[in-house]
Amino acid sequence: MKPKVLVLKADGTNRDEEMAYAFKIAGGDSKIVHVNQLRDGSVKLKDYQILALPGGFAYGDDIVSGKILAIELTSFFKEELQKFIERKNTAILGVCNGFQVLVRTGLLPFREIGKMRVSLTNNDSGHFECRWIKVKVNNKNNSQFLREMDNEIIWLPIAHGEGKFIADEEILKEIEDQNLVAFRYVDENGNPTMEYPENPNGSLNSIVGITDTTGRILGMMPHPECFVRVEQHPNWRRGNITKPQGLPLFENIVKFVKEAKP
Amino acid sequence: MIQKVRVQTIVGPDLKGDGILNDIHRMLGIKNITRVSAIKVYRLEGISEKEAKILAEKLLSESINQRYTINSTSEESKPTSEVKSVIIEIAYKPGVMNPEVTSIIKAADDLGIKLPACDSSFEYAFYGSLKKAEVEKIVEKLKLYNSLIEHIVKDEPQTLILKGQPGKIQTIPIRSLNDQELRDLSKDQLFLNLEEMKKIQEYFAAEKRDPTDLELETLAQTWSEHSGHKTFKAELLVDGKKKEPLIDRLKKEALKHDKNIVSAFVDNSGVMDFYGGFGICGKVETHNAPSAIEPYGGAMTGSGGVFRDIAATGKGAKNIASTDIFCFAPIDLPASQLPAGCLPPEYLLKRVVSGVRDYGNRMGIPTNNGSVHFHKDFRARPTVIVGAYGIVPKKYAIKDKPERNDLIICVGGRTGRDGIHGATFSSGEMTADTYTTHSSAVQIGNAIEEKRMFDALLEARDQDLIRLVQDCGGGGFSSAIGEIGETLGVTVDIKNALLKYQGLAPWEIFLSESQERMIVVLDPKNLKVFEMICKKYNVESTVLGKFDGSKKLKVYFGGKVVGHLDMQFLHHGLPKRVLKASRQSSVVSRQIKEPIQPKSEEEWIKVLRKVLSHGNVCSKEPIVRLYDHLVQGTNDLQPYSGKNLDGPNDSPVLRPVLSKQYGMIISHGLNPVFNNIDPYWGSIWAATEALSNFVAVGGDYKNASLINNYIWPFPDQESLWSLDRSVDAVVDFMKIFKIPVISGKDSLSSTYRGADGSVIKIPPTLCISVLGKIEDTRKTVTADLKKVGSTIVLVGEMDKNLGGSVYHQVNNLETDSVPRIDLKLLPKTFDAIYKGIRNGQILSCHDISEGGVISAIFEMCVGGNCGVNIHLGGVTSSHLRGGRMGSSEVSELLFNETTGCFIVEVKDEKVAKQLFKNIPYITLGKTQKAPIIDVKNFFSAEVPNLKKVWQKPMKEMFS
Repeated sequence: MKPKVLVLKADGTNRDEEMAYAFKIAGGDSKIVHVNQLRDGSVKLKDYQILALPGGFAYGDDIVSGKILAIELTSFFKEELQKFIERKNTAILGVCNGFQVLVRTGLLPFREIGKMRVSLTNNDSGHFECRWIKVKVNNKNNSQFLREMDNEIIWLPIAHGEGKFIADEEILKEIEDQNLVAFRYVDENGNPTMEYPENPNGSLNSIVGITDTTGRILGMMPHPECFVRVEQHPNWRRGNITKPQGLPLFENIVKFVKEAKP
Repeated sequence: MIQKVRVQTIVGPDLKGDGILNDIHRMLGIKNITRVSAIKVYRLEGISEKEAKILAEKLLSESINQRYTINSTSEESKPTSEVKSVIIEIAYKPGVMNPEVTSIIKAADDLGIKLPACDSSFEYAFYGSLKKAEVEKIVEKLKLYNSLIEHIVKDEPQTLILKGQPGKIQTIPIRSLNDQELRDLSKDQLFLNLEEMKKIQEYFAAEKRDPTDLELETLAQTWSEHSGHKTFKAELLVDGKKKEPLIDRLKKEALKHDKNIVSAFVDNSGVMDFYGGFGICGKVETHNAPSAIEPYGGAMTGSGGVFRDIAATGKGAKNIASTDIFCFAPIDLPASQLPAGCLPPEYLLKRVVSGVRDYGNRMGIPTNNGSVHFHKDFRARPTVIVGAYGIVPKKYAIKDKPERNDLIICVGGRTGRDGIHGATFSSGEMTADTYTTHSSAVQIGNAIEEKRMFDALLEARDQDLIRLVQDCGGGGFSSAIGEIGETLGVTVDIKNALLKYQGLAPWEIFLSESQERMIVVLDPKNLKVFEMICKKYNVESTVLGKFDGSKKLKVYFGGKVVGHLDMQFLHHGLPKRVLKASRQSSVVSRQIKEPIQPKSEEEWIKVLRKVLSHGNVCSKEPIVRLYDHLVQGTNDLQPYSGKNLDGPNDSPVLRPVLSKQYGMIISHGLNPVFNNIDPYWGSIWAATEALSNFVAVGGDYKNASLINNYIWPFPDQESLWSLDRSVDAVVDFMKIFKIPVISGKDSLSSTYRGADGSVIKIPPTLCISVLGKIEDTRKTVTADLKKVGSTIVLVGEMDKNLGGSVYHQVNNLETDSVPRIDLKLLPKTFDAIYKGIRNGQILSCHDISEGGVISAIFEMCVGGNCGVNIHLGGVTSSHLRGGRMGSSEVSELLFNETTGCFIVEVKDEKVAKQLFKNIPYITLGKTQKAPIIDVKNFFSAEVPNLKKVWQKPMKEMFS
């Protein structure tokens, strides 16, 4: 049985189709669901194993990115979300706007729905930025989603205006101590970097994405769903890009929920 | 009671404030302001302070990096250590839609708080020793707000709820007006000429009544140049010789080449055949008039409008790409040369780019092709061209004919006073007063409104509920409903329209160009399901009326008839014009006899740096990075590639169906300078450039379709003459390549008239866009050089003329011989390039355009992070058409802008010989690892140094 993937959509969500496609070719059974379908009860979160929050501008990113959708989720689905994350064979992936939603619901990093601990704020450059960057997996993070991805520099595209990861010192230390950092922006030698544009937004500790303490919730700014075919990389014609480096993440997530016990 | 919440970011940089401070220091040179801080202000009406506190905490601020105050005065909200500050608050004017408001009300509702009304704005605190009046002057100078839509808040608003009674219906006693009175009635409002006004007078005389304001406005809108295309439909007398109307000539030739046509000239975009049962479509529009006075809103509504054209193709297409092409005055234009009522080019460029960014990115439509051009004569009015492309299952590509009793439904945004007179206004010329008298023609777009509407419409289409979709663009309901009702006749009650606020007169509702609205026609039995889909996506819809078979346009407001027009008269009553065109100025030959040739290596490098930093040649990467060009995951050939991802490519290649390998290529070409010098050959150049960009990445020109846009000065006899020449060029181009134009648009008002009688004609511009299909996106190439030791070849025949080239521009030479393209040879050249790419023998390819041969080679070196070794010793025969190739003419070769020629990288000379045996080519040299462009005996230049000057202009402006 293919694991069921709920790709959540709201007004202004826009990378839902790529997300659904990425999970599909990784072996999932994706369905794009509007948040109103959850609200009217016609679709239920409990019927799914993977919840994917795609990129875009949910509700225009008004006030700050991801805020309005985060409020909607925490106001109406607190219990359902709690039950969902308590099932041990579920996964949540938030990419870009989805990551912004996850931190604003409090699901990341500490699974405290309604308590926001970290933030993603305006890029230091002050503007939206679309480019390919390099990331590396933090090999101390033992999330099953990241397995066998930690030996190489991974190319992924970013496209955001509010991607700077910030937290106060104490929380940041906690995140590092618990090895919740999933990826960091790196330079060509694979070293974490604070230099623009390799670190495109000025994220503290070069943080690209984080997991929760169980490793079953992952949020990240770049778009792995936009690198699931070799030809999506701008330089595939130069011969040194041989595999789509975003795809393993989706395969890992699908594999994990298939193998895990509830 | 209004609760006022202020939110300030206290951790991290204050980007807005710092940006303003930087501009004050850099642009104005004012040093006694030490800091600017930006504070977001929310006004919440109809809730208690306790409720406001909940919203401030949970919605409006984030404790990690912000703090808020409620109902404090400005004095309290600022840090105590700094006392001296001047506060300026900038807000949208009442009645201008603030896109954020809906979200705030929704989120408040989700938190259990019913919020009747709210608004948001920014407060800026200027710290330093300045008085309020001085700060206000700074705010004006920096154009921190646009007075058309925003204002400085002087008094606290008492309420945010706009109230009003419906405006009155007026009858205009047109039957009793004399000629002068008819002219006065038309001026600045209807934009019709006397003959047209008299035709209307006759109609109502026969009807034995006077028209309502709504009827008169509807006629003016339908008969406007914008909607009626009067010039393109007119009989022409060119230099005394009778010629067919421009549109007839274009259509006739286009329809001869219908192999790939699904629909051309009949719908909101042109559709061509694709693979897998799909069609692909394209539409390109200009949005010059609004962009000239409010560039941000103008660019947004331009994007929004052209996306709706795609969505309103057939029963609805899905938007998959967007293109943006701008023409401005040079950024360094002295302020003294700026005509009255016009905005400076730097401001325009930045704001237009922001508008495109904020709309396209929010829509999730990749912006992946475009260009920016500079010419002094755009100082009076910029040219802003926006294109959109889509995909549609062929079974939904053609509109059904409406049937009697079919419903007319308005979906999407609400109707407000915004955009009224947009269609008639854009058909008028720009004057010194334009800025002040046409403010209602401008509005702010709301991309999310449009995005959710498109989501809903595509779902409804896929359930086969829809007969047709029509855009509510220029002219609003009057245009959309008037058009679809032409054959059957319609009855609508515009009291059913959902309004943003009360107080609109019926004619305002009918003419409003409020964005993000579409008209859908449904069989009544599908209404219920359609409404459910709209509800799912939070989209409002309302039934306005139905098709009634009366052949009339019957408009009611409640029980009252406010319009009753004959469809026949509305659509066919416009008198056909006969227009005269003649060549006024005899062109003085300004040929230069001797080519100008740099005399030393130093001179070579100096002129090369000038060419590469010219606005038309320099890197546009900083702009492209602001656009989401990767969304939808379809882009298999991206705008930039190469070792450092900074080498530009000619055209994007998209895979619109993610699981399939077939693709779509999009490209464009234009050259206002060439067009201005020679309307025929300039237009041929534009079309060739567009198709060359398509071929340069691997496209087969036989699978391409064209879109033509004519942006011309007001068609007086001289401008009409050049327009006629341009149309002839496009017709000839179709003939040669046997491919059709499938869509197009004209914008014939690019003339500025100053109060002092001065006239500026904006350079006439033909923009040709290309869309086409390719079986396999993997059989394409980028421009970045791939290997060391490969052979570099110039393919195609170059014309010796450099008139209008960037090389001549930087040398301040004005000549009138633009490059002429050998159209007989061109199909063979295109074929050879296509085949060489398809079979993998061409490793990289770049087309020649502005900046010439050397600029193309340079860009390929940037991509490859390498160099080339060029040896022109062997180039002695007549490689330049009409000229000889001697050493003194090396500059004519290297800066030559004959498009339709290509620089290609192949393995070796043998491959070149085999690929290009039937066409002229020159082997230029070999690629080398060292990043140096080495032209033996002439100069040797380091690529990284050149790259710096090439990247500098836009980097400075956009980072």
